Amino acid sequence: MGHCPIFILSEMNANQLIDHFFRTEYGKAVSHLTNRFGSENLELAEDAVQDTLIKAMQTWPFGQVPDNPTGWILKVAGNRMIDQLRRLQKQTNEEMPELSENLVEDVSLTDINDDMVRMMFACCHPTLSAEYQIILTLKILGGLSIREISTSLLKKEETIAKSYTRAKKKFKEDEIKLTLPPANEVEKRLEMVLKIIYLLFNEGYKSAEGKVLIREDLCAEAMRLNAVLLKTELCSTPSAYALMSLMCFHSSRFAARVDEQGEIISLEDQDRSKWSDELILRGQRYLQKATDTDAVNDYVIQAAISSYHCNAVNFEETRWDEILRLYDVQLQINPSPVIRLNRIVPMEKVHGSMLAYSEIEELEETGFFDAYYLFYAIKGGILQNLGEVQESSIALKKAISLTKNERELNYLNKKLDMLSNSD
Amino acid sequence: MKQYLYVFRGGRAAYQDQSPEEMQAHMERWGSWMQKISAIGHPLQEEGKVVGKAGDVITDGPFTEGKEVVGGYVALSANDMDHAVEMSKECPIFEYGGTVEVREIIEM
Repeated sequence: MGHCPIFILSEMNANQLIDHFFRTEYGKAVSHLTNRFGSENLELAEDAVQDTLIKAMQTWPFGQVPDNPTGWILKVAGNRMIDQLRRLQKQTNEEMPELSENLVEDVSLTDINDDMVRMMFACCHPTLSAEYQIILTLKILGGLSIREISTSLLKKEETIAKSYTRAKKKFKEDEIKLTLPPANEVEKRLEMVLKIIYLLFNEGYKSAEGKVLIREDLCAEAMRLNAVLLKTELCSTPSAYALMSLMCFHSSRFAARVDEQGEIISLEDQDRSKWSDELILRGQRYLQKATDTDAVNDYVIQAAISSYHCNAVNFEETRWDEILRLYDVQLQINPSPVIRLNRIVPMEKVHGSMLAYSEIEELEETGFFDAYYLFYAIKGGILQNLGEVQESSIALKKAISLTKNERELNYLNKKLDMLSNSD
Repeated sequence: MKQYLYVFRGGRAAYQDQSPEEMQAHMERWGSWMQKISAIGHPLQEEGKVVGKAGDVITDGPFTEGKEVVGGYVALSANDMDHAVEMSKECPIFEYGGTVEVREIIEM
C-alpha cells in the first residue's frame, strides 16, 4: 500500500462554487433519483441527497471540488440509494427490479432538466391542494429546508413541517408518478405549474406582512423553475414565456423599489436609472417569444403592461392609454374586481380623477374590497387629486388599519403625513 | 515554527438538520479557514475498525458516540502551542458543537 497523497488546496476550492449551488443541486439530484427509482422512494432520495451534501461539505474543504461536482453528487447519492434499497430488500425479502451499478456517471444536463420538469408536474399534481403544491415544490425542487420555507412563507415552522409530512403522504397514497402529462392535458397541467411559480414569485415580491418587502430568494427560485420549464420544448408555451417575461420586468425594479432604510418607494418616485437594463431586455425577449403566436393569456397582458412601465422615461410619460387598453383586454378574459381596481390607475391618467372616482364608488358598492388595504390606498390617492383632503385622509387611515406589512404601513403613514401638511 | 496536528471531532449529528444553503455556507467557512491557516490534511470516512492484538478486530466503527467520532485531521505550522490553539479558534466546527484536539507533532 502506498502512502496517502496529501492534497494541496487547488485554485478551485470550496469557496468557488456558484451561489446556491447546493440548493439547486438538491433539487436536481432528488428529482433525478426519484425519477430513476420510482416516486415511492422519494423520501429515500431526499435522505440520500442530504447525506451526500453533508459528505461534500465535510470533505471538499480538505482538498478540492471535484471536476464535475454535479456528477459527483449524483453518483454518490445514487450509490447511497442503491445501498439503502438493497438493505430494505434484504429486510423484506422482496425482489426488486434491477439495480444497475453503473448509473448516473454521464447523465446529461438535458436529462436532469427533464427529471426536474417531471418533478414539477408531480409536485403540482391536481389531486394536491395548492398549499401542498407550494410546499412540495419549495422543499423538493427548491432545496429549501422546512425552516427556510416557514420563514419565506411567514408561517410557523411546525405548521410547515406538518403540512410537508401530510403532503408527502398524499403524494404516496395517490401514487403520483414522475410522468409527463399526456399531450391533451399538457396545457392544463402546465397552467397549474405556472400558477405555483407565479404564487411563489408574488409571495417573494410582496409579502402579506412582516418587515421585508422583497424576499428575493423566492423570486429567484420562481424564475429558476420557470427557466427549467423553458428548456423543454413541451413547456415552452406562450404562457410560460409570458410569465418569465413578467417576472423579469418585475425584478428589474427590485433595486429601486425600496430606499436605504428599506422603505417602499412608489413607482412614481423610483429612480429609474436603478432599474436593471439587463432584466428589462430579458423581459422584452421573453415577451417577444410569448407573442410569437397570437395566443392571448393573462400573463402576456400583465407582461405587456409591465413592459410599458419598464420602458417609460418617467411616470408621467408612461403610455397610460396603451396600458388602459391592455387592462380592458384583460377584463374581457377575466372580469375580476382586482383587475378593475388596478385598471383605475391608468384610467385616472387617461380620463381624469372624476371618472376614476365614480369607478371607485361602483367598486366599493360590491363590498369585495371591504378588507383590502390597496383599495383604500388608491381611493385616498384619487381623492387627494380631487382636492378632497379630509376624505382622502379617511381612506388612507382605513388602508393603514388594513395592512400588516410594516413597510407598507410606513409608506401609507408618510402619505398621510404629507397630506395633512398640505392642508 | 513547529508542526501541529488538529483532530476534528463531532458535529455530524447537527449537520443533519441543515439546509443545503446552510451547508454550502458552512463549507465555504471551512475552506476559508483552512486556507487562512495553511492547513493540509484529510477528511475521514465515518466507518472503520479498531484492531487489537494480532489483527483481531475489536470494534467495527463507528466506535463511540457521534461527538467522539473523528471527522478528519490537518497539519499546520505554528510558533507554539498557544499560537496553535489561537489559530484553531475560528474553526467552523464549533458552530455545530464539535471539538478540535490540538497536538504538537514531534520532529523525528
